[in-house]
Amino acid sequence: MGRAIVITSGKGGVGKTTTTANLGAALAQLGHSVVLVDADIGLRNLDVVMGLENRIVYHVVDAIRGKCTLQKALIKDRRMDNLWLLPASQTDDKDAVTPDDMRRVIFELKATHDFVLIDCPAGIEQGFKNAIAGADEAVVVATPEVSSIRDADRVVGLLAAADVPARLIVNRISAHLVKRGDMLSQSDVIEILALEMLGAIPLDDQVIATTNKGVPAVLENKCLAAKEFIRIAKKLAGHEVEDEAVGFFTRIGRALGLSATPA
Amino acid sequence: MWNGIKSLLSGKSTRDVAKGRLHLVLAHDRSGLEGGRLQEMRAEIAAVIAKYVPIDASAVEIQIETRSRQTQLTVSSAIQPRNV
Repeated sequence: MGRAIVITSGKGGVGKTTTTANLGAALAQLGHSVVLVDADIGLRNLDVVMGLENRIVYHVVDAIRGKCTLQKALIKDRRMDNLWLLPASQTDDKDAVTPDDMRRVIFELKATHDFVLIDCPAGIEQGFKNAIAGADEAVVVATPEVSSIRDADRVVGLLAAADVPARLIVNRISAHLVKRGDMLSQSDVIEILALEMLGAIPLDDQVIATTNKGVPAVLENKCLAAKEFIRIAKKLAGHEVEDEAVGFFTRIGRALGLSATPA
Repeated sequence: MWNGIKSLLSGKSTRDVAKGRLHLVLAHDRSGLEGGRLQEMRAEIAAVIAKYVPIDASAVEIQIETRSRQTQLTVSSAIQPRNV
Protein backbone atom coordinates (compact mmCIF):
# COMPACT_ATOMS: atom_id res chain seq x y z
CA MET A 1 0.00 0.00 0.00
CA GLY A 2 1.42 3.37 -1.01
CA ARG A 3 1.49 6.66 0.88
CA ALA A 4 -0.75 9.60 0.05
CA ILE A 5 0.84 12.98 0.67
CA VAL A 6 -1.06 16.23 0.22
CA ILE A 7 0.93 19.34 -0.76
CA THR A 8 -0.84 22.32 0.72
CA SER A 9 -0.23 25.93 1.81
CA GLY A 10 -3.38 27.92 2.42
CA LYS A 11 -2.13 30.85 0.39
CA GLY A 12 -2.03 30.65 -3.39
CA GLY A 13 1.03 31.24 -5.52
CA VAL A 14 3.64 29.94 -3.09
CA GLY A 15 4.68 26.96 -5.20
CA LYS A 16 2.41 24.03 -4.33
CA THR A 17 2.05 22.86 -7.91
CA THR A 18 5.74 23.29 -8.71
CA THR A 19 6.62 21.40 -5.53
CA THR A 20 4.17 18.59 -6.38
CA ALA A 21 5.57 18.27 -9.92
CA ASN A 22 9.20 18.26 -8.80
CA LEU A 23 8.82 15.95 -5.82
CA GLY A 24 6.77 13.57 -7.98
CA ALA A 25 9.32 13.53 -10.78
CA ALA A 26 12.18 13.14 -8.29
CA LEU A 27 10.46 10.22 -6.52
CA ALA A 28 9.83 8.57 -9.89
CA GLN A 29 13.51 9.03 -10.81
CA LEU A 30 14.41 7.29 -7.56
CA GLY A 31 12.49 4.28 -8.85
CA HIS A 32 9.20 4.71 -7.02
CA SER A 33 5.88 4.45 -8.74
CA VAL A 34 4.15 7.82 -8.40
CA VAL A 35 0.81 9.32 -9.32
CA LEU A 36 0.20 13.06 -9.10
CA VAL A 37 -3.37 14.09 -8.38
CA ASP A 38 -4.54 17.59 -9.28
CA ALA A 39 -7.17 18.33 -6.63
CA ASP A 40 -7.73 21.88 -7.84
CA ILE A 41 -11.06 21.20 -9.54
CA GLY A 42 -11.98 24.01 -11.92
CA LEU A 43 -8.53 25.64 -11.85
CA ARG A 44 -6.24 22.85 -12.90
CA ASN A 45 -2.57 23.62 -13.47
CA LEU A 46 -0.52 20.56 -12.62
CA ASP A 47 -1.02 19.41 -16.24
CA VAL A 48 0.67 22.52 -17.71
CA VAL A 49 3.46 22.54 -15.13
CA MET A 50 4.15 18.89 -16.04
CA GLY A 51 3.82 19.65 -19.78
CA LEU A 52 1.06 17.05 -20.17
CA GLU A 53 -1.82 19.38 -21.05
CA ASN A 54 -2.24 18.05 -24.60
CA ARG A 55 -2.70 14.46 -23.51
CA ILE A 56 -5.76 14.81 -21.28
CA VAL A 57 -8.78 12.76 -22.33
CA TYR A 58 -10.51 12.00 -19.05
CA HIS A 59 -10.16 13.62 -15.64
CA VAL A 60 -10.83 12.86 -11.99
CA VAL A 61 -14.50 13.92 -12.11
CA ASP A 62 -15.09 11.57 -15.08
CA ALA A 63 -13.60 8.74 -13.02
CA ILE A 64 -15.71 9.63 -9.98
CA ARG A 65 -18.89 9.75 -12.08
CA GLY A 66 -18.08 6.41 -13.70
CA LYS A 67 -17.58 7.85 -17.20
CA CYS A 68 -14.27 5.99 -17.28
CA THR A 69 -12.21 3.78 -15.00
CA LEU A 70 -9.70 5.46 -12.71
CA GLN A 71 -6.82 3.77 -14.55
CA LYS A 72 -8.11 5.16 -17.84
CA ALA A 73 -8.06 8.73 -16.50
CA LEU A 74 -4.35 8.46 -15.62
CA ILE A 75 -1.89 10.04 -18.04
CA LYS A 76 1.50 8.40 -18.23
CA ASP A 77 4.50 10.71 -18.28
CA ARG A 78 6.57 9.33 -21.16
CA ARG A 79 9.79 10.87 -19.86
CA MET A 80 9.83 8.33 -17.03
CA ASP A 81 8.78 4.77 -16.41
CA ASN A 82 6.67 5.21 -13.35
CA LEU A 83 5.04 8.63 -13.21
CA TRP A 84 1.35 9.31 -13.84
CA LEU A 85 -0.96 12.32 -13.61
CA LEU A 86 -4.62 12.30 -12.65
CA PRO A 87 -5.83 15.67 -14.00
CA ALA A 88 -8.54 17.80 -12.46
CA SER A 89 -11.51 18.81 -14.55
CA GLN A 90 -11.51 22.37 -15.78
CA THR A 91 -15.27 22.87 -16.18
CA ASP A 92 -16.76 21.54 -12.96
CA ASP A 93 -16.73 23.43 -9.70
CA LYS A 94 -15.23 22.26 -6.43
CA ASP A 95 -18.60 20.92 -5.28
CA ALA A 96 -18.51 18.31 -8.06
CA VAL A 97 -16.35 16.24 -5.71
CA THR A 98 -16.94 15.22 -2.09
CA PRO A 99 -14.36 14.18 0.52
CA ASP A 100 -15.73 10.62 0.29
CA ASP A 101 -15.17 10.60 -3.48
CA MET A 102 -11.57 11.70 -2.99
CA ARG A 103 -11.00 9.16 -0.21
CA ARG A 104 -12.10 6.37 -2.56
CA VAL A 105 -9.95 7.65 -5.45
CA ILE A 106 -6.83 8.04 -3.32
CA PHE A 107 -7.35 4.65 -1.68
CA GLU A 108 -7.57 2.97 -5.07
CA LEU A 109 -4.44 4.78 -6.32
CA LYS A 110 -2.49 3.79 -3.20
CA ALA A 111 -3.13 0.14 -4.01
CA THR A 112 -1.16 0.42 -7.25
CA HIS A 113 1.43 3.15 -6.55
CA ASP A 114 4.13 3.82 -3.93
CA PHE A 115 3.33 7.52 -3.71
CA VAL A 116 0.17 9.50 -4.38
CA LEU A 117 0.96 13.24 -4.29
CA ILE A 118 -2.11 15.43 -4.05
CA ASP A 119 -1.81 19.03 -5.26
CA CYS A 120 -4.19 20.96 -2.99
CA PRO A 121 -6.00 24.11 -4.15
CA ALA A 122 -5.40 27.39 -2.33
CA GLY A 123 -7.84 28.25 0.43
CA ILE A 124 -9.32 26.25 3.29
CA GLU A 125 -12.81 25.54 2.00
CA GLN A 126 -14.32 22.60 0.13
CA GLY A 127 -11.36 22.09 -2.23
CA PHE A 128 -8.99 21.88 0.72
CA LYS A 129 -11.26 19.45 2.57
CA ASN A 130 -11.44 17.25 -0.52
CA ALA A 131 -7.68 17.34 -1.03
CA ILE A 132 -6.80 16.29 2.52
CA ALA A 133 -9.57 13.68 2.82
CA GLY A 134 -7.52 10.76 1.52
CA ALA A 135 -4.09 11.96 2.69
CA ASP A 136 -1.93 10.05 5.17
CA GLU A 137 0.45 12.95 5.64
CA ALA A 138 0.96 16.54 4.48
CA VAL A 139 3.71 18.75 3.14
CA VAL A 140 3.05 22.39 3.94
CA VAL A 141 4.71 24.82 1.53
CA ALA A 142 5.39 28.35 2.77
CA THR A 143 7.44 31.20 1.41
CA PRO A 144 9.33 33.36 3.94
CA GLU A 145 6.66 36.08 3.93
CA VAL A 146 4.25 37.20 6.62
CA SER A 147 1.11 36.42 4.54
CA SER A 148 2.25 32.96 3.50
CA ILE A 149 3.33 31.96 7.01
CA ARG A 150 0.11 33.23 8.50
CA ASP A 151 -1.97 31.14 6.08
CA ALA A 152 0.32 28.14 6.54
CA ASP A 153 -0.30 28.34 10.27
CA ARG A 154 -4.06 28.12 9.72
CA VAL A 155 -3.57 25.08 7.52
CA VAL A 156 -1.29 23.45 10.10
CA GLY A 157 -4.07 23.85 12.66
CA LEU A 158 -6.67 22.33 10.31
CA LEU A 159 -4.37 19.42 9.44
CA ALA A 160 -3.76 18.74 13.13
CA ALA A 161 -7.52 18.75 13.73
CA ALA A 162 -7.91 16.23 10.89
CA ASP A 163 -5.09 14.05 12.30
CA VAL A 164 -2.88 14.50 9.26
CA PRO A 165 0.80 14.81 10.30
CA ALA A 166 2.53 17.69 8.53
CA ARG A 167 6.06 18.64 7.59
CA LEU A 168 7.35 21.89 6.13
CA ILE A 169 9.06 23.04 2.95
CA VAL A 170 10.18 26.66 2.88
CA ASN A 171 10.12 27.83 -0.73
CA ARG A 172 11.91 30.68 -2.50
CA ILE A 173 14.50 31.52 0.12
CA SER A 174 16.99 34.14 -0.98
CA ALA A 175 20.27 33.75 0.90
CA HIS A 176 21.17 37.28 -0.11
CA LEU A 177 18.00 38.83 1.36
CA VAL A 178 18.24 36.78 4.57
CA LYS A 179 21.82 37.92 5.04
CA ARG A 180 20.82 41.54 4.49
CA GLY A 181 18.13 41.18 7.17
CA ASP A 182 15.26 41.62 4.73
CA MET A 183 13.90 38.09 4.67
CA LEU A 184 12.88 35.54 7.28
CA SER A 185 15.33 32.64 7.37
CA GLN A 186 14.31 28.99 7.25
CA SER A 187 14.97 28.69 10.99
CA ASP A 188 12.74 31.72 11.64
CA VAL A 189 9.93 30.00 9.74
CA ILE A 190 10.45 26.70 11.59
CA GLU A 191 10.47 28.52 14.92
CA ILE A 192 7.21 30.30 14.12
CA LEU A 193 5.32 27.35 12.65
CA ALA A 194 6.89 24.72 14.95
CA LEU A 195 6.87 22.07 12.24
CA GLU A 196 9.41 19.46 11.25
CA MET A 197 11.43 20.74 8.30
CA LEU A 198 11.81 18.77 5.08
CA GLY A 199 13.92 21.34 3.30
CA ALA A 200 14.27 24.84 1.92
CA ILE A 201 14.14 25.60 -1.79
CA PRO A 202 16.25 28.55 -2.91
CA LEU A 203 14.73 31.28 -5.07
CA ASP A 204 15.93 30.14 -8.47
CA ASP A 205 15.33 31.61 -11.95
CA GLN A 206 15.74 28.16 -13.43
CA VAL A 207 12.47 27.01 -11.86
CA ILE A 208 10.63 29.72 -13.80
CA ALA A 209 12.44 28.77 -17.00
CA THR A 210 11.72 25.05 -16.67
CA THR A 211 8.08 25.75 -15.82
CA ASN A 212 7.82 27.79 -19.03
CA LYS A 213 8.79 24.64 -20.89
CA GLY A 214 6.56 22.27 -18.95
CA VAL A 215 9.52 20.33 -17.62
CA PRO A 216 9.93 19.77 -13.87
CA ALA A 217 13.29 21.28 -12.87
CA VAL A 218 14.50 17.99 -11.38
CA LEU A 219 14.46 16.38 -14.85
CA GLU A 220 17.22 18.76 -15.91
CA ASN A 221 18.88 18.63 -12.48
CA LYS A 222 21.10 21.62 -13.07
CA CYS A 223 19.92 24.24 -10.65
CA LEU A 224 20.12 24.52 -6.86
CA ALA A 225 16.35 24.28 -6.50
CA ALA A 226 16.31 20.97 -8.39
CA LYS A 227 19.03 19.57 -6.16
CA GLU A 228 17.08 20.52 -3.07
CA PHE A 229 13.86 18.99 -4.46
CA ILE A 230 15.76 15.75 -5.06
CA ARG A 231 17.17 15.82 -1.54
CA ILE A 232 13.67 16.33 -0.11
CA ALA A 233 12.27 13.51 -2.26
CA LYS A 234 14.95 11.18 -0.88
CA LYS A 235 14.08 12.23 2.63
CA LEU A 236 10.36 11.65 1.97
CA ALA A 237 11.12 8.19 0.66
CA GLY A 238 13.30 7.41 3.66
CA HIS A 239 16.61 7.27 1.75
CA GLU A 240 19.85 8.34 3.36
CA VAL A 241 20.32 12.07 2.92
CA GLU A 242 22.95 14.55 3.87
CA ASP A 243 22.67 15.63 7.49
CA GLU A 244 20.33 18.56 8.08
CA ALA A 245 23.06 20.07 10.26
CA VAL A 246 24.96 20.81 7.08
CA GLY A 247 23.02 23.97 6.48
CA PHE A 248 21.29 25.17 3.41
CA PHE A 249 23.69 28.06 2.99
CA THR A 250 26.69 25.83 3.38
CA ARG A 251 25.30 23.67 0.62
CA ILE A 252 24.57 26.67 -1.56
CA GLY A 253 27.99 28.05 -0.87
CA ARG A 254 29.50 24.71 -1.79
CA ALA A 255 27.47 24.51 -4.96
CA LEU A 256 28.71 27.98 -5.87
CA GLY A 257 32.22 26.95 -4.98
CA LEU A 258 32.38 29.48 -2.16
CA SER A 259 33.32 27.22 0.73
CA ALA A 260 36.45 25.17 0.47
CA THR A 261 35.80 21.86 2.15
CA PRO A 262 32.61 20.04 2.97
CA ALA A 263 31.98 20.04 6.70
CA MET B 1 21.97 50.45 1.14
CA TRP B 2 19.16 52.68 2.40
CA ASN B 3 17.56 49.71 4.14
CA GLY B 4 20.89 49.00 5.77
CA ILE B 5 21.12 52.55 7.11
CA LYS B 6 17.51 52.47 8.29
CA SER B 7 18.02 49.21 10.16
CA LEU B 8 21.22 50.58 11.70
CA LEU B 9 19.30 53.60 12.98
CA SER B 10 16.32 51.63 14.30
CA GLY B 11 18.42 48.63 15.34
CA LYS B 12 15.84 46.30 13.79
CA SER B 13 15.91 44.56 10.45
CA THR B 14 12.70 44.04 8.47
CA ARG B 15 13.29 40.35 9.16
CA ASP B 16 12.98 41.00 12.92
CA VAL B 17 9.93 43.17 12.36
CA ALA B 18 8.28 40.40 10.33
CA LYS B 19 9.02 37.87 13.07
CA GLY B 20 7.55 40.06 15.78
CA ARG B 21 4.42 40.78 13.76
CA LEU B 22 3.93 37.10 12.99
CA HIS B 23 4.17 36.06 16.64
CA LEU B 24 1.37 38.48 17.44
CA VAL B 25 -0.81 37.83 14.41
CA LEU B 26 -0.63 34.05 14.87
CA ALA B 27 -1.53 34.36 18.53
CA HIS B 28 -4.65 36.30 17.54
CA ASP B 29 -5.48 33.87 14.71
CA ARG B 30 -5.02 30.81 16.89
CA SER B 31 -7.11 32.16 19.74
CA GLY B 32 -9.73 33.65 17.45
CA LEU B 33 -9.42 36.87 19.43
CA GLU B 34 -9.32 40.11 17.46
CA GLY B 35 -7.05 42.92 18.63
CA GLY B 36 -9.96 45.22 19.49
CA ARG B 37 -11.67 42.53 21.61
CA LEU B 38 -8.41 42.00 23.45
CA GLN B 39 -8.39 45.67 24.46
CA GLU B 40 -12.00 45.39 25.67
CA MET B 41 -10.95 42.41 27.77
CA ARG B 42 -8.03 44.40 29.13
CA ALA B 43 -10.35 47.13 30.35
CA GLU B 44 -12.69 44.59 32.01
CA ILE B 45 -9.82 42.75 33.70
CA ALA B 46 -8.37 46.07 34.90
CA ALA B 47 -11.73 46.96 36.45
CA VAL B 48 -11.87 43.61 38.26
CA ILE B 49 -8.34 43.97 39.63
CA ALA B 50 -9.10 47.51 40.73
CA LYS B 51 -11.95 46.18 42.87
CA TYR B 52 -9.44 44.29 45.01
CA VAL B 53 -6.17 46.23 44.91
CA PRO B 54 -5.26 49.80 44.09
CA ILE B 55 -3.92 49.97 40.56
CA ASP B 56 -3.59 52.43 37.77
CA ALA B 57 -6.15 50.88 35.41
CA SER B 58 -4.60 52.50 32.35
CA ALA B 59 -1.25 50.87 33.10
CA VAL B 60 -2.61 47.30 32.95
CA GLU B 61 -0.92 45.50 30.10
CA ILE B 62 -2.33 42.58 28.19
CA GLN B 63 -0.32 40.48 25.83
CA ILE B 64 -1.06 37.43 23.75
CA GLU B 65 1.85 35.57 22.26
CA THR B 66 2.56 32.26 20.69
CA ARG B 67 5.64 30.04 20.89
CA SER B 68 5.93 26.50 19.58
CA ARG B 69 2.18 26.21 19.01
CA GLN B 70 1.41 27.27 22.61
CA THR B 71 -0.52 30.49 22.90
CA GLN B 72 -0.19 32.41 26.13
CA LEU B 73 -2.21 35.28 27.48
CA THR B 74 -0.39 37.51 29.94
CA VAL B 75 -1.93 40.30 31.98
CA SER B 76 0.42 42.41 34.04
CA SER B 77 -0.30 45.25 36.34
CA ALA B 78 1.75 47.22 38.83
CA ILE B 79 0.04 47.47 42.22
CA GLN B 80 0.26 50.87 43.86
CA PRO B 81 1.78 50.95 47.35
CA ARG B 82 -0.79 51.14 50.17
CA ASN B 83 0.21 54.34 51.89
CA VAL B 84 0.47 56.65 48.96
